[in-house]
Amino acid sequence: MTRRHYNKMAAAIVLILAFGLPLVVRSATYLHILVLLYFYAYLTTSWNLVGGFAGVLPLGHAAFVGIGAYTSTILYLQYGISPWIGMLVGGVLASFVGVLIGLPTFKMRGAYFALATLAFAEGIRVMVENIDRLGPFVLNGPRGLQIPPLKLGLGNLVFASKEPYYYIILLMLLAVLALTWVIARSKLGYYLNAGGEEPDAAMALGVNVARSKLTAMAMSSFLTALAGAFYAQFTLYIHPKSVISLDLSFEIAFIALIGGRGSIAGPVLGALLLRPVSDFSRIYFGDTLPGLHLVIFGVVLILVMIFQPRGLQEPLTRAYNRLLDRLAPGQTKELGT
Amino acid sequence: MNILEVKELGKDFGGLTALQGVHLSIEAGRIFGLIGPNGAGKSTAFNCIAGVYAPTRGEIRFNGEVINGQKPWNLCKKGLARTFQIVKPFASKTVLYNVMVGSFLHTNSTREARRRALEVLEFLHFAGKAHMRAGDLTIADRKRLEIARALATRPKLLLLDEVMAGLRPAEVDQMVEIIRRLRDQGITIFVIEHIMRAIMALSDRVAVLHFGKKIAEGTPQEVASDERVIKAYLGEEYVVSGS
Repeated sequence: MTRRHYNKMAAAIVLILAFGLPLVVRSATYLHILVLLYFYAYLTTSWNLVGGFAGVLPLGHAAFVGIGAYTSTILYLQYGISPWIGMLVGGVLASFVGVLIGLPTFKMRGAYFALATLAFAEGIRVMVENIDRLGPFVLNGPRGLQIPPLKLGLGNLVFASKEPYYYIILLMLLAVLALTWVIARSKLGYYLNAGGEEPDAAMALGVNVARSKLTAMAMSSFLTALAGAFYAQFTLYIHPKSVISLDLSFEIAFIALIGGRGSIAGPVLGALLLRPVSDFSRIYFGDTLPGLHLVIFGVVLILVMIFQPRGLQEPLTRAYNRLLDRLAPGQTKELGT
Repeated sequence: MNILEVKELGKDFGGLTALQGVHLSIEAGRIFGLIGPNGAGKSTAFNCIAGVYAPTRGEIRFNGEVINGQKPWNLCKKGLARTFQIVKPFASKTVLYNVMVGSFLHTNSTREARRRALEVLEFLHFAGKAHMRAGDLTIADRKRLEIARALATRPKLLLLDEVMAGLRPAEVDQMVEIIRRLRDQGITIFVIEHIMRAIMALSDRVAVLHFGKKIAEGTPQEVASDERVIKAYLGEEYVVSGS
């Protein structure tokens, strides 16, 4: 067997496991945890288009989650428009806002960019918290919006059990991973990486660095907003602190940094590692030590940054390649990016 | 025909005048050398031409078109490429990846970009290192990578900023050979260099900058025997009076 065969086999096993898991895991709690795990993997993969490939550190992606969640919920509650359509409207709106944020901030480097995006997201949260009505749209300020689970079904994206949500977010995650894979191998991927690593050299080679970053930002914020709409339909209750919070923005960045920015597997690995930590520390220490999961995140992040600054995907990829060398020796390695 | 025409070029940084009244004209298909002591303004001149700085005064024409203040990526699309004195490889990526960033300028297809990048690497006898990480290359190979990337954008005019600095004599000879082959391909070469042996051997014409002004221009022989040039490089006492 060749490396390609082994790669395909590994992918098939992962897919079968992922799709078969709800047949084994019957507990609603565990399914809930898994849905959130995929949700975060999805968010971080979307974030990775900007934060990984383009080499900047956006810390305000919660704003796009919020835009997606609020747009689809308002359209659904007030106008009866299917959340699927609301999702897309929210995505378009978010990518518009993403470009507006990106225009002035992509000229900044390093921490300044991170702080600017953080400030934008916080600004949006404070606005939403203080606005009850925005023209014809009811935002309900800090009290948030509740979706009454009256009409169930795929069209309304409301289900009585967790399984449908599980499969929807799993498909969304697979789609965004495939998209990332394609982009990493396209001109845009090359331009983003080049502009992130050595902007001056990239510009001299004909790369309009600012424009490729804006393109990535538009895509990233669009995809992020889709997950926001999904989250609203999953929890059926959103408020500014839940969907536009700093915690959410930070957690996305944490997952990316620990898993490995700029790689395709990194966000998924990061979510696989950190989400259970977050959920179980909340379950077991939630009453006595609230916020413990953030402390654990911090410790893990510090350790990873010291010992594996390029994230956990690197040693794992190396181990996987070594395993393949064992299984299919003497074959030339596939060209990685 | 002159591919590059620089008139009255001046550049100020705050109160400091880095360039003043510089005229240059470079004939297509030639190798033009720019020399001068450290701090003479050579790299500033390059940066003005390549669009990194907007010139304070003067006019730069490339292929007859005024290009003052145009952005580097647009100039690159018009056929003006450059290398950096301090090399800037995309260090975490392979040599091939680096060159492909350049070859994507004229294609949207990854396959096509890879094919063209491999052609360039082949031309530079560099294909054997295509899959090496750029950050692991020796300094000579990094300089070569700078040229390979720039070449992949299919330039008409190539600005080479000290591509031989830090190379061993044998490597300098190789580089001279490479630059000649680029010229034979029809690419006009504008080169800044400190290594006199190389620039004298290469250049059809040489201009000398000193304190931001052009003090001499001519064939390498003319420039080498110019009194002002010797003064600028070695100091007053080395000029043999009356000769």
